[in-house]
Amino acid sequence: MTWLAIAGSAIVTYVIRAIAFRVAMPANVPRRVGRYLDALPAAIIAALAGPAIVVPNGAPTRGPELIAALVVIGMVVWRRNLLAGVLAGVATVALLRLVLAA
Amino acid sequence: MLVSVLVVAIPFGIVASRSGLSPAESMAMSLFVFAGASQFAMVQLFADHVAWPVVVATVLLINLRHLLMAAALRPYFARVSVARRLAAAFVLTDEAFAMAIGWFRRGRTEIAYYVTFAVALYVLWNTGTAIGMLVGPAIGEPRRFGVDFSITATFIAIVVLGVRRRTDALVAVVAAVLAAALAYLGASVVAVVTAGALAPLLVLATRGEPDA
Repeated sequence: MTWLAIAGSAIVTYVIRAIAFRVAMPANVPRRVGRYLDALPAAIIAALAGPAIVVPNGAPTRGPELIAALVVIGMVVWRRNLLAGVLAGVATVALLRLVLAA
Repeated sequence: MLVSVLVVAIPFGIVASRSGLSPAESMAMSLFVFAGASQFAMVQLFADHVAWPVVVATVLLINLRHLLMAAALRPYFARVSVARRLAAAFVLTDEAFAMAIGWFRRGRTEIAYYVTFAVALYVLWNTGTAIGMLVGPAIGEPRRFGVDFSITATFIAIVVLGVRRRTDALVAVVAAVLAAALAYLGASVVAVVTAGALAPLLVLATRGEPDA
């Protein structure tokens, strides 16, 4: 199953990359299509993040993930650095879970 | 820019190794898929035990943008053989595209610049993945140390870093909130991903803002 998913993902990713290198594409894609494709990846990734914040590991959040999400946003806006945001988020979650468990 | 690839690749190796994927599976993703955001999404979907066609469809949606990037690069590869073009396509990433298009627009024509940069990214991405996979298991109990949150945090960071216009932020918030509400109500991952795919339609409803 996992291997099928990896092989399938590798194939579609390569076909997308290769197709326009090989075949002539219309010189100018309609502006609206271009803007849609431009916005698509972030939207899909945001759609994966939303549920992981609100229903982490399958159970509704008790708060830590929600607060940590805001910390990540703040940190990345401030530092423009992915790792800084991730570390801040992970530390916040760990700390808040510790507090909640106490 | 090259160092920043390691900064993403090492966490990828860590989360992949912590999420129960075998080292071969984790490494195969970096070697053959070679697409950062997609690979994180795949790890998340594997953890959710989603059927493989859903994983492939999600990756397809995330990477559809490369169609436009390859189309923009194609004129500069007009005199290159088909075999070389197909090889160049394998290492096409957002970063390689950004560097190459800047280079060509400055009037340069050497595709060696693209090839060198893109291949360096490929090597670093895979090196970083391997390092992360070696480090990952040394990190203690994942839930206690919040390691399970690192994929989510990475998603958030990727989205925030990608915001260039106000509509980008709007689309991301709508997609995240809609998907979260659906998941909270027990909707399938398919519904959640579909919600994400529909959110950018908002962009089309807005009047074209000038590009940042």
